[in-house]
Amino acid sequence: MTGLDAKHRQVGIYLRTRTTLVFLLLVALLLAAFAIGLVHGSTKMALSTVWHAMLHPAGGISSVIVWQIRFPRLVAAALVGAGLAVSGAVMQALLQNPLADPYVVGASSGAGLGAVVAETFVPGMALVAPAAFLGALAAVFLAWMLARARSRSPMLTLLLAGYALSVLFSAISTYLMLQNQRSLTTIFAWELGGIHGITWSAVGVAACIMAASALMLIPYLKTMNALLLGDDVAHGVGVAVRRSQFVLLLSASLFTAAAVYLSGLIGFVGLVIPHLVRRLSGPEHERVIPFSFLVGATFMVLADTVAERLPPLGTVPIGLITAFIGGPYFLYVLARPGGRRFF
Amino acid sequence: MTSYHVSIDRVGFHWPGSSETLQEISGEITEGTWLALIGPNGAGKTTLLRLMAGLEIPSLGRIHVGQRALREYSHQQRAGLLALMPQAMRPAFELEVRTVVEMGQLGQLGFWDRIGRPRASHREAVDEALVATDTYALAKRKFTDLSGGEARRVLLAMVLAQQTPILLLDEPIAYLDPGHAKDLLERIERLVREQRKTVIMAYHDLTTVGLYCDQIWALEQGRIRLQGAAAEVLCQPELKALFGLDFLTLTHPTRKRPVLLWS
Repeated sequence: MTGLDAKHRQVGIYLRTRTTLVFLLLVALLLAAFAIGLVHGSTKMALSTVWHAMLHPAGGISSVIVWQIRFPRLVAAALVGAGLAVSGAVMQALLQNPLADPYVVGASSGAGLGAVVAETFVPGMALVAPAAFLGALAAVFLAWMLARARSRSPMLTLLLAGYALSVLFSAISTYLMLQNQRSLTTIFAWELGGIHGITWSAVGVAACIMAASALMLIPYLKTMNALLLGDDVAHGVGVAVRRSQFVLLLSASLFTAAAVYLSGLIGFVGLVIPHLVRRLSGPEHERVIPFSFLVGATFMVLADTVAERLPPLGTVPIGLITAFIGGPYFLYVLARPGGRRFF
Repeated sequence: MTSYHVSIDRVGFHWPGSSETLQEISGEITEGTWLALIGPNGAGKTTLLRLMAGLEIPSLGRIHVGQRALREYSHQQRAGLLALMPQAMRPAFELEVRTVVEMGQLGQLGFWDRIGRPRASHREAVDEALVATDTYALAKRKFTDLSGGEARRVLLAMVLAQQTPILLLDEPIAYLDPGHAKDLLERIERLVREQRKTVIMAYHDLTTVGLYCDQIWALEQGRIRLQGAAAEVLCQPELKALFGLDFLTLTHPTRKRPVLLWS
C-alpha cells in the first residue's frame, strides 16, 4: 500500500501541477486576446498608447476610445463567450447529450419571442435586450414545469418539451414580424448576434447575473460528474437528483439569458467550446467548467476583434464569425483521430 | 454499536400506468446476511431492490433500516447506509475510472470538500476500494474502454468507496463469463464473511445461488412465494411451479451446498 501511495501521490502532484499550468496558460491567452482586441479597432493604436490610456482614464481621446468603447465591448464579448460555453457544458451534462447547447430547451426561441414582442408593442424603448433575457428564462422555466410532472426520464421530456416550445414560439415570432414589417430588420440583425453600443452598465448587469449563477454552480461541479453516471447511480451515491437538476438548469439558463441580453443569439460557441475543453482536460467538471469559461471568453474576444476588423468586408456580425471559424474547426476535430490535443 | 437490520413490513407498490405490482412483501434481513432475490423475469426482483434503495417510494407499508424508516433519512445519510450497484452503466462522456470510484464518496463530502480538493480520508477511501477490487491499475483508464469484467469490478469499487454496511446489487454477474463471475462472487463473499456487510442482490442463476447465499426470497408476480435459508428454499417443490420448469437438486461435491440444474 505504501508503494502505491507514493506512486499515487506523484501522479496526483503531476496532475495538479498540469491543471494549474493549463489554467495559467488559459488566463494568459485571455489577457493576450484582450491586448489584441484593444490595439485593433476602427483606428489602430500602438500597445503603448493603449497601456497609457488604460492607466490614465481621463487622458484625452485615446482614453475615451479605450475606456468607453473598446474595453466595455471586449469585456462584454468575454462574458458572452464565457457564459455560453459554461451554459453549454452544463446543458450537455444535464441532458447527458454531447449535442446539447445553451439554447436546446427553448432559450433561443423564448429570447426571440421576447425581443419581437418588445420591438412590436413598445418600439424604440431599448427594451429588446431585457425582454429577450426574460423570454429566455421564461421558455426554459415553462419547459421545466412541463417535464417535472413526468416522474420517469424527466430530462428527455425536458428536451422534447423545449423543442415543442421552440417551434411554437418561433411561429409566433414569425407571425408578429410579418404583421409588423418595420421591426423586421432590427430583429433580424439581433438574431444574427452582435455586440453593439455596449455600455458599462449593461456589462455590469450581465456580470452580476453571471456571478450569482456561478456561485450557484460551483458547489455542484462534482454532482455534475455523478449525474453523468445516470440518475439512478447519482441517487445511489446520495445526490438529490431532481433538486440538483433544477439548480443546474437555473444556473445554465441565467448564463444563457445574460449572454443573450448582451449580444442576441450567437450560435456554436456553447456547443463547440465544451467539446474542445473536454479534449484538453477530460470530462471531469472541476476542470471543464473553469476551462470552458476561459476558452469561451478568449474565443469570443478574438472573434469580436475579427468581426470588427475583417478588412475586405467591413464589419460582419460576430455570430457569422463564430459559425465560420467554429464550424470547420469542429469538423476537423471530429474527423481527426482521438487524443487530448487542440491541433 | 448500531445495528443495520433491514426490516420490510407489508410493502406494496405499483408502477404508475402499469399492471405490474408488488404486494404484501415482508421480511427481515439481519446484519451480515447475504440474501438473493430470485424469480422469473418480471417477478419484481429489481423493483424490490429499487424500493430498498429509495429510488421508488412504497405505495403501502414501510421499510426500516436501522432505527428509522428509510424515507426519514436525508439523501446523504441514506447513501452512507445503502450502496446500489447498477447492472450496467454507460456514461455519456469518457470519465476516468478513478472519477467513477470517487463518486462513491460524494455523499460524505462536506461543502468545502466539494469546492476544493477532498481531504486525505476521502482519497484513502477511494484508494482502498480500488485496491480491494484489483482496479488500482485501471484508475487512469476511461470507464467506457473497460471490458465487461473490469467494468463490473469498478462498479463494485464505487459502491465499496461508499463504505456502507449494506450493499444492494442488481444482477451482479449478468453477462459475465464463469471466470469473472466466480471472481466477483468470491469478492462479495469476503465482504460478507470478513466485514459483516449485508448484501442483498437480485439474481437469476439458480446453479450458483445456493453456493454463496445465506437466504433466498423467491418472488412470483409481485409476491414472495418462498422465503428462508438457501438450502431449504432450493429443496422446495414449489420452485418448479414458480419457474415452470423441472429441477434436479444436487449437492456440490466439494462445497457441500445445494446446486440446482434444470432437467
